[in-house]
Amino acid sequence: MTELAQDGFSWRAVALAAVAWIVPGCGHFVLGRRVRGIGFAAVIATAFLLGLHLEGNLYRVAPGQPLSFLATLGAMGAGAPYFVARFGAGFSGSPEASTYEYGTIFLLSAGLMNLLVVLDVWDLASGRKERD
Amino acid sequence: MTHLGLMAIYALLLGVFFALLWRQENAARSRLFLQIFIGMVGGAVLVGWLMYYFPSGPAAPIP
Repeated sequence: MTELAQDGFSWRAVALAAVAWIVPGCGHFVLGRRVRGIGFAAVIATAFLLGLHLEGNLYRVAPGQPLSFLATLGAMGAGAPYFVARFGAGFSGSPEASTYEYGTIFLLSAGLMNLLVVLDVWDLASGRKERD
Repeated sequence: MTHLGLMAIYALLLGVFFALLWRQENAARSRLFLQIFIGMVGGAVLVGWLMYYFPSGPAAPIP
């Protein structure tokens, strides 16, 4: 176990996790795991763009629907792409589209995958996970 | 795009993702990718085939 893991907290790990959240794959890239970083970025971007193309639901909190809060957190896990699509492009999906449900799953999965990537970056940066 | 095609793309993305996340060596990554991809696509086709024995019945009345 490294000194960082014994301390349990490091600002560097926090910064890297934040970078990994905002730009999918960037955290691994900064840590020197470039192939994994590019792979994660490609997979998450593909899932997110496909979700947009399929007119899925980019979750936002709906009054009176507590589960929409969790879904929004999951979708926001995609980082910058979520905010660019929602606030930059004004994307909201189209429930009338035949691929709406599929698109929603792709968008939500992109967010959840990026959250797992952020946790992996946190573990690597704080020394909880051995680097290969 | 067909339902099966979208499902295959989804399984492909998840397979690549978890292979990169959970395995370090290329051989182990390939094995895990195939397990996830075949498990998801094959499992869905198998369950879909089994559902032929459980007809859905008449449509629910519209309230």
